Amino acid sequence: MALRMWASSTANALRISCSAAKSAGLSPSFSITRCFSSVLDGLKYAPSHEWVKHDGGIAVVGITDHAQDHLGEVVFVDLPEAGGSVSQGSSFGAVESVKATSDINSPVSGEIIEVNTKLTETPGLVNSSPYDDGWMIKVKPSKPSELDSLMGSKEYTKFCEEEDAAH
Amino acid sequence: MKSRRVIRVCKMGVVGYLNSLKLQERLVSSRKAGEVPDTLLSLQHPPTYTLGKRRTDHNLLVSPSDLARMGADLHYTDRGGDITFHGPRQAVLYPIISLREIGLGPRRYVENLESTMIELASLYGVEARPGGSAETGVWVGDRKIGAIGIRISGRVASHGLAFNVNPDLNYFKHIVPCGIADKEVTSLQREVTSSTTLDEDDVEDKLISCFIKQLGYTDVVHEHRDSLLPTEAEAK
Repeated sequence: MALRMWASSTANALRISCSAAKSAGLSPSFSITRCFSSVLDGLKYAPSHEWVKHDGGIAVVGITDHAQDHLGEVVFVDLPEAGGSVSQGSSFGAVESVKATSDINSPVSGEIIEVNTKLTETPGLVNSSPYDDGWMIKVKPSKPSELDSLMGSKEYTKFCEEEDAAH
Repeated sequence: MKSRRVIRVCKMGVVGYLNSLKLQERLVSSRKAGEVPDTLLSLQHPPTYTLGKRRTDHNLLVSPSDLARMGADLHYTDRGGDITFHGPRQAVLYPIISLREIGLGPRRYVENLESTMIELASLYGVEARPGGSAETGVWVGDRKIGAIGIRISGRVASHGLAFNVNPDLNYFKHIVPCGIADKEVTSLQREVTSSTTLDEDDVEDKLISCFIKQLGYTDVVHEHRDSLLPTEAEAK
């Protein structure tokens, strides 16, 4: 358990970047081994394994490394149109992988202002870059205090360990 | 010491596809609310073609009016996977189960469904294998014997698997099954070396047992079909 948190903070400290030109201030996605999933500081996490980054009044949402690892290869991402609304805990789309479609739930409520259209052509971005190029929707939060009810990186790391250990 | 896990099993006989979808939706809601235990529906469908969430119509090679003439239905669903055919003498299992409680992610659950069918085939002396990365499902050599398509909502799974016991394989000629061209479809009857006709009830029972064992259930409760399905009058 300590090893995973060490890995996460090491990745942050080293600022290792998979794609150098990407958004500043966001610790990069990096897994030292595939034995455990990466969890990034600075993000908030929902128990259904979605992450949200709140930055300058916009919430960016995607699914976590843990989620994409448990899904397998993503072959299709079903996303809503911009202009629609989402509410915390409700489904806004689905991800298809190896014959299973799984709902994706929004960690926050608000209006969808942008949708990642790259995922139509390249759904595999969800696997290769879940925190970065694999982002799914951008939301203008209607209730920013909802973020307080979400987990931080340490809490989420522990949550995943407990889930995986339960069998 | 193993904790007890209950599965409720209901053998339903032939169920229309739409009725089975409605039943699954009700069961998924009840399961999410914790009102019912994990439930396994075992059934067959009348001749029905179904498409998954990706709506891959191009893999249906005949027109809707041809389908009507064949006496087959077509349904669009929210499950994963491509186009497939369901019909008499194909064993269908729809497990409505909480993946959260079992602690399985989608990929591992699908693998468990594959293993269930592989184990069943082996009981009849047929060696089956899982597909490669682009070919989920269960194969005997180059011939597909079992298909999988599931939907997960709030970590409760629905839809499931379809295993060809002895269906009329001609129906598969009208589609590109699961979007995989140039591969044959087969059935357990075709693959068994013995010349005896398979006892479908026996195959169904064994398939259910393989599932129960694979998913680690300890306790089985049997439910009669009438308590899950509305009467014909209510269904209309």
